[in-house]
Amino acid sequence: MANTTNDAAVMLSMKDIHKSFGSLEVLKGIDLEVREGEVLAIIGPSGSGKSTLLRCINMLETINSGSIAIKGETLVQTPPGGQAEYAAQHDCRRILAHTGMVFQQFNLFPHMTVLENLLEAPIQVKKMKKADVLPYAKELLKKVGLLDRADYYPSQLSGGQQQRVAIARALCMKPDIMLFDEPTSALDPELTGEVLKTMRELAEEHMTMVVVTHEMAFAREAASQVIFMADGVIVEQGEPEPFFSHPREERTRAFLQNML
Amino acid sequence: MDKILDTALLMLDGTQITLEIFILTLIIAVPLGLLASIGRLSHLHILSRIIELYIWIMRGTPLMLQLLFVYFALPMIGIKLPDIAAALLAFILNYAAYFAEIFRAGIQSVPKGQYEAAKTLGMSYPQTMRRIILPQVIRIVLPPVSNETINLVKDTSLVYILAMNDLLRVARTIVQREFDMTPFLIAGIFYLAMTAVLTWIFKKLEAHYGKYDK
Ligand SMILES: Nc1ncnc2c1ncn2[C@@H]1O[C@H](COP(=O)(O)OP(=O)(O)OP(=O)(O)O)[C@@H](O)[C@H]1O
Ligand SMILES: [Mg+2]
Repeated sequence: MANTTNDAAVMLSMKDIHKSFGSLEVLKGIDLEVREGEVLAIIGPSGSGKSTLLRCINMLETINSGSIAIKGETLVQTPPGGQAEYAAQHDCRRILAHTGMVFQQFNLFPHMTVLENLLEAPIQVKKMKKADVLPYAKELLKKVGLLDRADYYPSQLSGGQQQRVAIARALCMKPDIMLFDEPTSALDPELTGEVLKTMRELAEEHMTMVVVTHEMAFAREAASQVIFMADGVIVEQGEPEPFFSHPREERTRAFLQNML
Repeated sequence: MDKILDTALLMLDGTQITLEIFILTLIIAVPLGLLASIGRLSHLHILSRIIELYIWIMRGTPLMLQLLFVYFALPMIGIKLPDIAAALLAFILNYAAYFAEIFRAGIQSVPKGQYEAAKTLGMSYPQTMRRIILPQVIRIVLPPVSNETINLVKDTSLVYILAMNDLLRVARTIVQREFDMTPFLIAGIFYLAMTAVLTWIFKKLEAHYGKYDK
């Protein structure tokens, strides 16, 4: 299990997050904090706002009010009674560079080989030389067990392999926080294991992670904190052991029962 | 054999006009269509609607009618273009509309997840378009663009009705004068040859841009 010492630096803090799509309020005042090396698992029924919450962290969605800070830097804040105010564009870019994301649908670039997928952002965004990224990219591919597939195109890989490439691609930008949105939900059951294993290894290396998942076993074993969301609010939160053995809230119990 | 060669030489002039219309239309209508597709997809509502209307008219009326309109109706309101320019104008406007629809569909078929993945990796919008989206759009639109291009080869023969000496008209003139069907055969072979060359070129392009498809 990842460490939960409370003196570790706060990597992500979200306060009173509100988010609506039109008249539909999807996040109704979310507060959370993730410390360095922690793995936060977010669970909850479909439509409860888990993906939206994750996507607000890296500005794939913008919030209506509340505040978000990443590594102590304010991405967005809200004056009392006012609207959310985001940092200047180049500051947002810099702050968001601390985050990496893995999607349910992998979203690899289909016209690039596995290796090219990893090299693309460091070369284009960080303006690094290919020769300088290459060793790290290969090291990452080795880590996810796909070095021998470096020259394959995504369409030539299984879903599990594609997702491991997607993890390596995000890591190649050296993020401090990794966001996962149901990374195994699009996979055949026999392929989820290899992806979860990669994520466990990442957790053991003390990568800070926020993981939206339906994999209760993963949440129980690899997470340091679990959040149960429903209807846009956090219903219950805690360390996995008490959370899964003795859920306090009736809704949590009902949900966990359904998952078994 | 000699006679066929003579006839073919006579027909070279016609070939030139046909090729001219084909090449100029392609060179101008493709980028124009790309611009129109971007305008069609823009959030500027008015621009999008105007382009939609333009595409609707161009695709909803016969190219023959458009040719006649540019050629005969425009001079009546005082706009007099040289023959070839008039024909070109009609061809370009018509084909740009078709290309615009092809490109629009191509751009829209790239999943949203591609933009999002690029964004979470820190790529800017221009970088995303250039490096991630357009290469995928090119692969998607190549087959329909290839189709349209081959249609254009054959559509060039429509200038026949404008009394321009394109390949088809030259062929007919000789046929009428000499009671000999060879010019029609030669014309047919010419169209076939052009289509074959284009098919070959597009096959190469598709192989190049589609190499990641398995
Ligand atoms: N772009 C959008 N526009 C409008 N409504 C949206 C949008 N994205 C999400 N929603 C709505 O917001 C609510 C929360 O969606 P969200 O995807 O965050 O749920 P989720 O908890 O991730 O669900 P799932 O487990 O099915 O992935 C849903 O009612 C959804 O329909
Ligand atoms: Mg979701």
